[in-house]
This record gives sequence, C-alpha cells and structure tokens, in this order.
Amino acid sequence: MRISVKKLATAVSASVALMAAGQASAEIQIGIAGPMTGPVAQYGDMQFSGARMAIKRINENGGVMGEKLVGVEYDDVCDPKQAVTVANSLVNDGVRFVVGHLCSSSTQPASDIYEDEGVLMITPASTNPDITDRGYELVFRTIGLDSMQGPVAGNYIASQNPERVAIIHDKQQYGEGIATAVRDTLKDKGVDIAMFEGITAGAKDFSSLISKLKQADVDYVYYGGYHPELGLILRQAKQAGLDAQFMGPEGVGNKDINTIAGDAAEGLLVTLPPSFDKKSENQDLVKAFEDAGEDPTGPFVLTSYTAVQLIADGIEKADSTDPFDVAEALRSGSFDTPIGTVQYDKKGDLKSFDFVVYRWHSDGTKTPVK
Amino acid sequence: MQDLLYFFQQLVNGLTIGSTYALIAIGYTMVYGIIGMINFAHGEIYMIGAYTALIAITGLATLGVTWLPLVLIVALICAMIVSSAMGWAVERVAYRPVRGRHRLIPLISAIGMSIFLQNYVHLAQGSRNIGFPALIHGGFTFGSPDTFQAQISYMQITIFITTLICMTALSVFISRSRTGRACRAVSQDLGMANLLGIDTNRIISATFVIGAALAAVAGLLLGMYYGSIDPLFGFIAGLKAFTAAVLGGIGSIPGAMLGGLVLGVAESLTSGYLSGEYKDVVSFGLLILILLFKPTGLLGKPEVEKI
Repeated sequence: MRISVKKLATAVSASVALMAAGQASAEIQIGIAGPMTGPVAQYGDMQFSGARMAIKRINENGGVMGEKLVGVEYDDVCDPKQAVTVANSLVNDGVRFVVGHLCSSSTQPASDIYEDEGVLMITPASTNPDITDRGYELVFRTIGLDSMQGPVAGNYIASQNPERVAIIHDKQQYGEGIATAVRDTLKDKGVDIAMFEGITAGAKDFSSLISKLKQADVDYVYYGGYHPELGLILRQAKQAGLDAQFMGPEGVGNKDINTIAGDAAEGLLVTLPPSFDKKSENQDLVKAFEDAGEDPTGPFVLTSYTAVQLIADGIEKADSTDPFDVAEALRSGSFDTPIGTVQYDKKGDLKSFDFVVYRWHSDGTKTPVK
Repeated sequence: MQDLLYFFQQLVNGLTIGSTYALIAIGYTMVYGIIGMINFAHGEIYMIGAYTALIAITGLATLGVTWLPLVLIVALICAMIVSSAMGWAVERVAYRPVRGRHRLIPLISAIGMSIFLQNYVHLAQGSRNIGFPALIHGGFTFGSPDTFQAQISYMQITIFITTLICMTALSVFISRSRTGRACRAVSQDLGMANLLGIDTNRIISATFVIGAALAAVAGLLLGMYYGSIDPLFGFIAGLKAFTAAVLGGIGSIPGAMLGGLVLGVAESLTSGYLSGEYKDVVSFGLLILILLFKPTGLLGKPEVEKI
C-alpha cells in the first residue's frame, strides 16, 4: 500500500495547528530563544535553565492573571541567519513574548522582526548598545551595555599602570563593540595601546598572533569575544612563554574555558555582572535551583529568570497581554527582581547595572578583585 | 638580531601549520588526480581522526597508561584505522554509485556527505569545544630573555618530523610499490588501466584510504598543537587544505606539499607583519593570482586532451 506523503503532511500540520490553537486559548506562551547547540551552548544552558525555573515558579504561584505560562524553546545556535529563522517561526507560532536572544549578533536581526510583528523581546545577555539604539518600542534587556562594561574593564587596566596594552577582538558585533569601548577608555586615560587587531571567530591557530604579542612586549592583553578562542589563545600563549595579564568580558567567563585552556586560565581577569546568586534576598531562589539540580551561578541564569518575571509583572501591571501595553507598563514601572530593582529608560535599557572585575581560576571558580 | 629572530619565529609557525595543511591536501589531490572529483568530505575525515585520537587518549588515561610514546602511537593507529574505514565507506556509499556521471553529481554528493558527517559528530559528541590534552611540552628557545625570544616547541618539531616521515613514505609507496604503480597508471588513464587488468575499484578505494589515514595523522597532530577540537573545525581546515592543493597544482602530490607550505608561511607572515585580519585575504588572494597566471598551479601539469 502506498501512503500519500501529502496526506500525511496535511494530517500532521492540521493536528499541530489544533494543538497550538488549544494552547493559545488558556495559556500565555513565552518564547525562549538562544543557543541550545553550537560553540556557545554553555551560555544557552544558563538562559534556558533560568527562564524555565521562572516559568515553573510563577505557575506554582497561580500564574499570570489566572493563566499559566508556557515556555516554547527555540535554538538559534548563536548564528544570525538561524536567529532570523527562529524569529519568523516564533511569530508564526503566535508567541508574543520572547526571552532572548543571547548573542548580540543574533538579537539584532531577530529584534527587527519582533518589532515589526508586535512581539515583546527581553534579552537577558546581549550587551551591544546598538540593539536598543534604534528607537524600538518592544525591545528590552536585563543586562548592562558594552558601553558600561568596556569602561569598567578599561578603568581597571588603567589603574594597574600597564606599559603596553594589546586589544584583540573576534570581529563580531559583541567582541569588536566591547573591544572598541575598552580602547576608547584607555585612550582617554593616556595608556599606550600597542595593538588593536581582529582574529577570525572559529580559528584555532594563534601562533603568529602570540609571536606578535611577544614581539610587541605587551604586559596586558584585552580580548573582546567568547571563550573558545580566548581559551586557545591563553593555552598557546602559555606554551609559547608569553608573560602577560589577559582580560576579557563576560563572554569568556564560564567553565568551558577551563576545559580548553586548563592551567592557563588561572588568573584571567573577567568583567561579569555581579554574582546575583550571592545576594541574601535570593537565597530561596538559589535553593530552588539547587534542589532542581541546576546551577544558579552562571552570569545569565538570573537575568533570564528576571526577564520572564518582568514579562509576567508587566502583564499583571498592564492588565493586558498586548505586547505594546506590557511595554508601556515596563517603561513606567519599577520592579523588584532577583537582579535588584529594575527601572527602564526610554530606550529599553536598565537605568543602572553594575559590572564587577573577577579573577578566574583554573578550577572554574572566581573571586572578586578590588 | 631581534627582527631576525621574529622573522624566524613566524617562519617556523608558518611551516608548522603549512606542513599539516599539506598532509590534509594530499587527500584532495590524490582523489582528484585519480577520478577527477573533489572530495569535500575530506575535512570531516580529518575532524573524525582528531576525535578518535582524543577518545583513544582519554581511554588510555582511564586505563592508567601514561607512557607518552605508547599513548601517541595507540592514538595514532586508532585514528588512522577509524578515518581510513570512514574514507573507504564514504567512497563506497556516496561516490562509487555516482561515478562516471556528470561531474557535478559526485561534487554535490560530497558536500552532502560533509554536512552529514559534521552533524553526526555534533549529535554523537556534542557541539562544544573539547579540550585536547597537550602531551608534548617545552621547546628550544633562542635569544636573550630580555628581548624577543624565538621558540621552537617540541610539538612543532614533532609535527615537522611526522609530516616528513609521512610524505617520504608516501612518495616511496607511489614510486616503488605495485599498488603505487597502479595508482599512477589509473591517474594517467583510468579506462586503459582497467583494460590492462588493474582492479581500478580497488585502487580508487586505496586512494581514499591513504588520504584519510594522512588526514587522521594531521587530526591528532593539530588537536594537540591547538588544544581544542569541535565538530566544525574540519570544514575550515579542509578549505585551507583544498586551497593548498589547488595552489600547488591539483592532482600533483609534490604540488600539495609545496602548496601547503607556501600557504602556511604566507598566512603566518601576513598576520606577523600586516595584521591577522588580512590572513585569509592574502592566502585566498594568492590563490586567485596563481589561478590567473598559472591555472594549473605551481607544480601542476597542463591537462592534455586524451584522444
């Protein structure tokens, strides 16, 4: 017997449509879009675990306006092209609130689609200033900006009185953006910048770059980018006998850098959001994560949690599930969240957000500097 | 003196990376020389070689075997066996059924195979970067500690020597052995070789197996040298090695060796003296120039129309 593929497809899509319709009537869907796979999936894990926990806890407390939240998860692999596909399918699925994306280069193209289609987006991790700089109404974040993080790193480096500083970046929106912010801060302070150079994300061989750093005799190296490349740079630099202090943004501060760099990760400086999991008022929440076997210490776990909570609070406050009403409520209100009191400016940026300098250790732990 | 040391250092960096490009390029060039197709899945074979070596090293470590030469040799043999089997299987599954058709068809089949293998490793091993243990430490340093110190690491020396041994063995094999002679005959004229009683299917399989084994050697060496592997790293390496093969003259084995070294040195000198951002611009620009002025590559022979 021949089964008609066409008929089968029609039947499947019809049943999917029925399911979706069934959900839409009684529940509020929260899209969670970020990298589940790919080279920075480690950060995606933080995002998904934070958002899932928030949805679970809000539902346990009776949901939002009597309705349950339902998480719908999408994998964008931290790839701009994939992010656009994800954004489109999210719109097609009728989702109207998104926690995501993670990488700035994914968030930016996806946010164009959300703004056009009336979907409210809160990114828990993208720090590039351009994202909120385009006058969009529906774009928010629960993290600071490169323009806040760069100066923290730049000021710290300047306070150590280095002789020569090299700045390396991965030519991507996030990495180059933050590297530029660091360079500008250092220039203002009159620090000698020996090198400002890009590498290719995904590259493995940094022997030429490291020889060049040795030749330039730098004592500080700032890297704007993510951990896969910095891990290799650290490791290859140690083998080549380069003696310099490395520093990077929150994109390098996770335990995967230890599996790549090993001992060479010891002493790396990282600017990270403050450890929200150490705050005394969050201990209940931290315990909930630990009871569920999840790790609440990653930099994006509680920012994602907060993003979901803000959507819920915004809906309650606006007494509406219309994304525009919710956006209005978020802009006008002040909310108590695990990352502190949240207030938004006109652009959708947090009115205040601190970054802290940490020293990273080869066992994956970190200690605050200063 | 310092400038000279710096130049020397960048040259060593370039030759190291270039010699591994050459190892991978052999696989492209041999297959092209014999059946005139580009095996785009070759980069993935190299990646699988690196993963197999890592699994072997980790396995030996859990068994408590730490004697370095033994670990390296076992890892190398495992990687070569698995990669060769993979190279052989890929040819049987994806290329042999479409051999002799329009040349685009095997090419598309190869690209499909490449995507399949990449995603297979994604699923089987996870998509994150995995750290590769550095088993060979230390090196020779030159120059005074106050100024620039050039360093040739033992790892770099290992890469040179291994590549040299592989290349010599391959050259001897091709020029002296019975199978090597058959390889040359098949590459000159497949139809005629077939008529004269050479089992061409066996020779083509042998070509894939040899290329894959050399790629596995490169996989182990580069995994240790760089320090991490991921399922996508075969793609970039494959692209570079393919460029090296075309640069040297695709179809020519000495050409692949030369092409690899030229490409490696060009890349390292560009990032050493110009900027790392221009590395790929220069290497691919070089390729375009060579193709414009000498379309057969550095050592390639012009294709004679067979009548």
